Amino acid sequence: MLTSQFLTYVAFFVLSAIALIGAFLAVTLRNLVRAALGLILSFMGVAGIYFVLEAEFVAIVQVIIYIGAISVLILFAIMLTRGLMTSAASTQNSQWIGAAFVGMLMFAVLFFVAITTNWPLAQPHTISDLIPRLGADLVTTYLLPFEAVSLLLLAALIGAIVIARE
Amino acid sequence: MIPLQFYLIVAAILFCLGLFGALARRNAVAILMGIELMLNAVNINLVAFWRYVKPAAPTMDLAGQIFALFVVTLAAAEAAIGLALIIAIYRSRDTVNVEDVDLMKW
Amino acid sequence: MPILVPDINLRIIAPALIVTVTAIVVLLGELVTPAERKRWLGYLSIAGLVVAAFAAFSLWGANASGFSGMVVADNFGLFLTLTIALSAALSILLSIPFIHAHEIDQGEYYVLLLASVAGMIVMATATDLIVIFLGLELLSLPLYILAAFQREDTRSLEAGIKYFLLGAFSSAFFLYGIALVFGATGTTNLAKIAASLAQSAGSPMLSIGVGLLMVGFAFKVALVPFHWWTPDVYDGAPTTVTAFMSVAVKAAAFGAFFRTFQFALPALALDWRAVAAVLAVLTMTLGNVAALLQSNVKRMLAYSSIAHAGYILIALVAMSANGLSSALFYLLAYTVTNLGAFGAVIALSDGARERLEIKDFAGAAREHPLVALALTICLLSLAGFPPFAGFVGKFLIFGAAVETGWAWLAVIGVLNSLVSVYFYLRPVVQMYMSEPAEGWSGIRVAPLVALALLIAVISVIALGVFPAPAIALAAGGLIR
Repeated sequence: MLTSQFLTYVAFFVLSAIALIGAFLAVTLRNLVRAALGLILSFMGVAGIYFVLEAEFVAIVQVIIYIGAISVLILFAIMLTRGLMTSAASTQNSQWIGAAFVGMLMFAVLFFVAITTNWPLAQPHTISDLIPRLGADLVTTYLLPFEAVSLLLLAALIGAIVIARE
Repeated sequence: MIPLQFYLIVAAILFCLGLFGALARRNAVAILMGIELMLNAVNINLVAFWRYVKPAAPTMDLAGQIFALFVVTLAAAEAAIGLALIIAIYRSRDTVNVEDVDLMKW
Repeated sequence: MPILVPDINLRIIAPALIVTVTAIVVLLGELVTPAERKRWLGYLSIAGLVVAAFAAFSLWGANASGFSGMVVADNFGLFLTLTIALSAALSILLSIPFIHAHEIDQGEYYVLLLASVAGMIVMATATDLIVIFLGLELLSLPLYILAAFQREDTRSLEAGIKYFLLGAFSSAFFLYGIALVFGATGTTNLAKIAASLAQSAGSPMLSIGVGLLMVGFAFKVALVPFHWWTPDVYDGAPTTVTAFMSVAVKAAAFGAFFRTFQFALPALALDWRAVAAVLAVLTMTLGNVAALLQSNVKRMLAYSSIAHAGYILIALVAMSANGLSSALFYLLAYTVTNLGAFGAVIALSDGARERLEIKDFAGAAREHPLVALALTICLLSLAGFPPFAGFVGKFLIFGAAVETGWAWLAVIGVLNSLVSVYFYLRPVVQMYMSEPAEGWSGIRVAPLVALALLIAVISVIALGVFPAPAIALAAGGLIR
């Protein structure tokens, strides 16, 4: 029992480190292709964190959509705007010190509230038939947002075609 | 059991790294990358809350996960729109607008 | 496994549903419509919006909620639905000749606009933060594309990408706020959030979550200090799209803003009312002062729309039934007035060549007396002169603020309205007092633009002279 708990902690810390190091590389590297690879690393770490949280379906969706689709789109966009990969010009704007300040301030606030808030905690629960229940909920309780999101995808599809076609 | 706070702190760091990226970069694609990191931080929060926080209504005990799935879908739609706009600008041979953006200024 | 029955109540989402169906019909119609008949797609879209408005009207007083408490058909949401449908229909009237003159008349323009309208209606009637968020995105994504619709024009593309990046950025804040509120209360349903907060005291996490929600809304309705994208985006986007988003996005986003804060978060009112009051002062003052400095009409109207968001925010600070109804009336008055002003600007353009500098308006009154009169009426209404709609709207909002003990906020609002008179009158002075500029002869105002302008001006005057029916409708709009 104790070892399994210890292993969970190890997994959590390793995966969090992967997610955060990947994110750090993604926002600091000058070469944008490498930055995008950092982004993929970060997405993988986040997927691992979902596994630790026992949300397997979200983890798999994360891998398929974030790593499989979104990262590819981003890499595609970087390679289209060529010259970026090799350009010597800085990819940071002149306000990066201000941006760093804003980021740290935001973190200080979020850190403070995370450790001072008393959460209405429940016993962490595991749902055995999670995926059937997700499917059922999507077409019952969450039917309206489900339809709204499908309309959203349709609109995005039409919009993307309209604006990008020859 | 790992305390909830650990997840929240990881999410907060990820969000702020993304925030920094979105504000400090001047390339449209790089800004989009920062925004995607921010959305990932939101999802860590949502899934962690699903696991740890008592739902207000028993029929909605999957709200956190389902919301996270909607956010992923939305992120994909946004990436598609963003890429389409970048291609359109690239076609107009005016790469300056993609490569010289400053979210804090304008 | 038991058979699951979803809580379907199509009647209460009928307006959004009709708009969506119209969008799909227009999308398919685009395939079979020859290039010279594209305007029929516009007429079809308007017909769909009219039917949707009737559906909304038939639901008046229904006060029904459905889809597991995700959405509600209350008078507040229905009033906003009617306002949004009206603004979309007037925008399409303006758009049909405009997109033809600019050679961007594709059916997808109407499809995207209708998809955006569906998102607005969903957002204005949603009672769950998930649905509010999805409505917000459904209204935003098509607008990013519409802002960039003039693909030959770099400034339009630039407006599109700026709007997109800022919109996605603000969405991330909004989402983080929703996530924190969800963590603190265990639900995203507005009624359940209110119930949960009535029992237990707030936590720091909840306060930060609410703050981030406010940031998200502030970006969407362009409150200072989250407004800086507005002038560039409004300036670069096609004028008809600017006209549409300057009014309709405000109606939808303010609807959800009021519903979330006044209905779900009254327990925290002490905190957010103070913050909103500060934002209102900053927004009104900076919007009006910056508008003073503009020489371009579109940019001036962009800053003016920022200032108007500040006035509407006063109604939220008042947090009363009168505040709510005054905001609804104001949104309607602002919709017809601003669309009238944009309509007049479009009417004065020469085909694809637009006149957007204030000095270009010199002498317009001599060549186009009726259009100049219409623009004058709309600008006076924006400035808050009686007997026009804008005056009644401001009167109601400031009255609601005074009633609830925020008289100082009303005073700042009045002072700001006085400042705004100066810049709203500048184009008027140019039109009536200056010698005509070159090139006025031979401009014909498109009949559809004239029709839209007529509808807008009649509404501005009617809402100003006989405001009682509209006020009564708005007063029935209590959030349920």
